[in-house]
Amino acid sequence: MTPLASPDTLEEIDERTVEQPLTPWSTIVWNDPVNLMSYVTYVFQSYFGFSESEAERRMLQVHNEGRAVVATGGREEMERHVEAMHDYGLWATLAKVDA
Amino acid sequence: MKRFRREPSGLLVARFEAAEAALLTNLAAQTAELLSEKRDAPAAVADPALARLLPDAYPDDPEASAEFRRFTSDGLAERKVLNSKAVVDSLEQSDRGRVTVHLDEREAQSLLRTLTDIRLVLAARLGIERDGDSGFRGTRDSLTQSLTYGWVGYVQESLIRALNAPPRR
Repeated sequence: MTPLASPDTLEEIDERTVEQPLTPWSTIVWNDPVNLMSYVTYVFQSYFGFSESEAERRMLQVHNEGRAVVATGGREEMERHVEAMHDYGLWATLAKVDA
Repeated sequence: MKRFRREPSGLLVARFEAAEAALLTNLAAQTAELLSEKRDAPAAVADPALARLLPDAYPDDPEASAEFRRFTSDGLAERKVLNSKAVVDSLEQSDRGRVTVHLDEREAQSLLRTLTDIRLVLAARLGIERDGDSGFRGTRDSLTQSLTYGWVGYVQESLIRALNAPPRR
């Protein structure tokens, strides 16, 4: 539960932190012609901890639909995921989840 | 090349012909060079290969993209360079002739990522934009690069299979 903020603590709260629970963000992985299907599955399994079948399902979604949402949450957390995906050489972006 | 396999010790082992090891070393070094030069280049990333290695995080928001890049691209480039250098090191341990690599988990991860980066750079140079495009454009240069691109993919596939295989006791 989030307690009500008193006026003096409110000033210290970063706008982003306040925004998070209201507008979640998503990490999106896009299809590219370079990365191997086995590699994308491997990354989804080893980084996000998906089961093999779940990782494959998301990989196929990327492959067939051009993109897949692989995580949702606060903006900073999603930025960390996107950076990790860039470490792996996957093409990832973040976006606000549609209301 | 003799495919990757996981030894009972957990190490990932493969054997490369001398020319293959030299080629991989060369490609890894080129990738590291490209990423090191990046720091001197203006903020706008004009090279499509670099743009793919360090992509936009917010494609519809240039301001947020620039901010994300400011905070992450140096670290990202640095880690990629370190991975490439680790690959060069693991291929160097042997003298002339065939090179047998014995990779621990960390070295295997460096190779895995570097193979991806090499393929991303080659694909950008070859103008590969669609699934199934080999990059061959009827010229000798594109043939060589396209074969290299395919071969690096083969090495990566072999490594992934070995990584997925549980160590045999």
